[in-house]
Amino acid sequence: MSTNLIGHVLQYAGILIEACLVIYLARNPRRGQLAGVSLYLSCLLGTGLGRRLALSTYGWTSPQYSYVYWTTDFLLVIAAFLLVCHFFRRACLSQEKLWRFVRLLLCFSFILVAGISGVSFVGHYGGLSLPYVIEFSQDLYFTCLVLNTLLYLMLQQIGSVDDQLGLLVCGVGIQFAGPSATMALYHLTTGQRFSASLTSYMLPMCTLGMLMVWAYAVIHVSDRVNKVTPRRNPVLAEVTAD
Amino acid sequence: MKNLVVTLLLALLVVLTAVSVRRAVAGTSPSAGSPTLVAIGTDPVPPLLPPPPPKPQPQKPSN
Repeated sequence: MSTNLIGHVLQYAGILIEACLVIYLARNPRRGQLAGVSLYLSCLLGTGLGRRLALSTYGWTSPQYSYVYWTTDFLLVIAAFLLVCHFFRRACLSQEKLWRFVRLLLCFSFILVAGISGVSFVGHYGGLSLPYVIEFSQDLYFTCLVLNTLLYLMLQQIGSVDDQLGLLVCGVGIQFAGPSATMALYHLTTGQRFSASLTSYMLPMCTLGMLMVWAYAVIHVSDRVNKVTPRRNPVLAEVTAD
Repeated sequence: MKNLVVTLLLALLVVLTAVSVRRAVAGTSPSAGSPTLVAIGTDPVPPLLPPPPPKPQPQKPSN
């Protein structure tokens, strides 16, 4: 009973914060700079409402809810990948050569994830169905985790002073790294009951953590223009050289 | 051309790192023997559907 109650509270809290942020961003005069965040939050809100409807209609253990959940998760992971690409673009606003390099890297990464997931899936299951969607979204999820970490390191490397972007990237980091760390803990404790219940709460709590960091970044941190120090780092200069 | 190769190698490194991390932290559950999955959103994660049963092989007509 209490487990269900906590789950419902987390679910409704997520929907409420997402709705408030979407409304706030829609009324914000500088919403153009945060268009990617607005779109991602709208996706989160839409899928949250759809899942809530499927959950109340069919129930938690029904195959219908499972299909709705994993299909919408696939869409959310794609949206998250596009959001990370958008953050890379914002970080490279004044460095066109670096952006050309990063753009290629992102395209290759996406193609490779699709290929590796396909090879792994065909080897184990065969055919194109929901398991492939889950396999692909799981691989893309962890690719987003690695890319987001690279983005954070790149922001430190180029000396970006865009505090808002830094906080937005940290929020995405909570979303991706939190569940991964919880899964690692689950394995270290050999799947004990405590870590299993912790895992079920950590996924929604990491999303809530991301939303709260984003709320702080959007409301309290003034979105300064992305000023990059003119000093070129030798490593990046070598990579982006023609 | 050099840039293209470097980018491709870096992308391969990124994806292989991601797949390795996934295998390390969410490969197979020690208790149930099924893979543990990560997801986005505040909704409860549903249990995995069981894999579809194998199709029955057509029986050969006996002579």
